[in-house]
Amino acid sequence: MFWENFKLALDAMRTSKLRTALSLLGIVIGVGAVVAILNLGSSVTENITGSLAQGGSDIISVYPTPNERTKGVFDIQFSDTLMNSTDGIQTISPVMSSRATLRTKENTATSSMLGCESTYFDTQNITFDTGRGFTAQQNIDSNQVVVLGSDIAKTLFPESSAVGKNVTFIMGDDGIMHTFEVIGVLDEKEQSYTMSYNNSVYIPLNTYSRRLINNKVVSTYIIKLKSGYDTEVVSDQINKFMDSIVGSDGYETFSPAMIAKMASQVTASLSIFLAAIAGISLLVGGIGIMNIMLVSVAERTKEIGIRKALGASPSVIRGQFIVEALTLTLVGGILGIIFGCILSYAVVNIAGWTLKLSYNSFIIAVGFSMIVGIFFGWYPAMMASRLDPIEALNYE
Amino acid sequence: MSKSVIYLENVKRYYVVGDFCVKALDGVSLNINRGEFTSIMGPSGSGKSTMMNLIGCLDTATSGLIKIDGESTKGMNETELAYIRNKKVGFVFQQFNLLGRKTALSNVETPLLYAGISPKRRKEMAMDALEIVGLKDRMKHKPTELSGGQKQRVAIARAIVTDPSIILADEPTGALDTKTGGQIMELFESLNLQGRTVVFVTHDVKLGNMCNRQIHLRDGKIVEEY
Ligand SMILES: Nc1ncnc2c1ncn2[C@@H]1O[C@H](COP(=O)(O)OP(=O)(O)OP(=O)(O)O)[C@@H](O)[C@H]1O
Ligand SMILES: [Mg+2]
Repeated sequence: MFWENFKLALDAMRTSKLRTALSLLGIVIGVGAVVAILNLGSSVTENITGSLAQGGSDIISVYPTPNERTKGVFDIQFSDTLMNSTDGIQTISPVMSSRATLRTKENTATSSMLGCESTYFDTQNITFDTGRGFTAQQNIDSNQVVVLGSDIAKTLFPESSAVGKNVTFIMGDDGIMHTFEVIGVLDEKEQSYTMSYNNSVYIPLNTYSRRLINNKVVSTYIIKLKSGYDTEVVSDQINKFMDSIVGSDGYETFSPAMIAKMASQVTASLSIFLAAIAGISLLVGGIGIMNIMLVSVAERTKEIGIRKALGASPSVIRGQFIVEALTLTLVGGILGIIFGCILSYAVVNIAGWTLKLSYNSFIIAVGFSMIVGIFFGWYPAMMASRLDPIEALNYE
Repeated sequence: MSKSVIYLENVKRYYVVGDFCVKALDGVSLNINRGEFTSIMGPSGSGKSTMMNLIGCLDTATSGLIKIDGESTKGMNETELAYIRNKKVGFVFQQFNLLGRKTALSNVETPLLYAGISPKRRKEMAMDALEIVGLKDRMKHKPTELSGGQKQRVAIARAIVTDPSIILADEPTGALDTKTGGQIMELFESLNLQGRTVVFVTHDVKLGNMCNRQIHLRDGKIVEEY
């Protein structure tokens, strides 16, 4: 019976193509919007979360602000103080940074220079194109070795491998020169919110603080959490501790996980808001369905009378028209999904992201349109089923 | 032993229009046995169609008792009435009342669809019925591609396909010319000879005389019966 009704519904659609198409427009746009929004939402979340995760999701960074109160506080030893203040910290690696000019015989590059510990590369999920990072021993020994970001390596050594070659660091206004040996080049790495990995060079922290710059101020404490600890909870504790020492304007904290969470929340609520708008067009579409169904029932009064005379019970007639409404909305839903995918593909392409299709959105969209079909098809179907057989038969 | 298929006892059907009461049927009692060939005659507005609709369970009486195949239809709901229409009654109308977008075959199949018969069996039964009315070769045609007489044959095939207890025809020849009408009457006659109970309404005395039984109505009452 369902199959028969489905065929009847397709028949009815075929006989009034234009009218059907026009009434479906609302559903197509509504469903299309739902699909597009959910797809965009999932793509945005994926892309933002992705670029944030480059910085490591279990990392909290603390940036001291240089002012009167912080003077002399943020040195390398402060790591231990911070470590003891809070549960859940696995390691703290202090980073010092400044700008430096690097030179080979042929080329010059300006980059940000980071003094860091040997564990830095691991905590940042950094991988090496060639060579390797420096060892803990090299740090202790204050060796003059350097790891280059991929862009810097390309600038300084466009033709050959950089590893094993020397570069000259030119420091400060007086132009003191130091020669470093390149021991590694990084893979290209997408930049995080705070770091442009490809444009930086990395040297041992001790080398940095003892040989290059006579300044013991740490620019970042990179805190890696023990597994199982919540970023938000730990950073709250860190903030409390930092507040007690230098006040809230003496530092800033930043964690990729928290930013990612915020971004997901923003896009999620944006999605919900836009889905509500889509819901309105589905409502309008539903009213369109109701309209075409009422017209269809009125036009086919005689047919309904005939079917009743042949023994169709009210529930059978009701079923016929509900299936017809469902078929309409299902077709609208499928067209809407196609429309929504095209729309989200276009937007994502323009924004330069990669499209992440949300398969849930298809189910939601089809579900929505079916609900709309049943809801708005019910009343016309009821009307059809309640027609008086004789009146319907005599209807001209 | 003849068996009652249609039994009416003091059946009334009143229509209230404003504060005016139309007594379309005003106390009709009647018994029709299996295998009878009955014509119902009478002037326009005498209640012929009203009576047919009541017998065919398209309408319900204001008062009185109606039994189809010995079963009272009193108090039945729409679903139960639909079941009787489907199983016990085959309707033939003056205006054919075929489903315009459907082929002859699927028109004839429609009552079987509501009887819950499988598609394969439906098709076989519908083809048999079309064979009986002599239109098997036109089964793929739509009503617009058929003549009036052919349309009425399809309608008759549709009425007999469920093998109902009663075939009710309300002026089945009314929209046809005399010759075609005569052929349709012959078809009814042969259906009756095969044992089917046929009740039909006509204004044509000649056609009425072909029946073994005539009922004359006037102002909602039976005035003559033989
Ligand atoms: N729905 C209705 N509302 C009010 N009055 C009705 C209705 N249907 C029929 N009638 C009245 O009932 C009476 C009998 O009508 P019916 O259709 O049974 O006559 P009939 O004998 O079939 O006439 P005809 O030969 O013209 O077809 C008529 O007076 C008609 O006006
Ligand atoms: Mg009549």
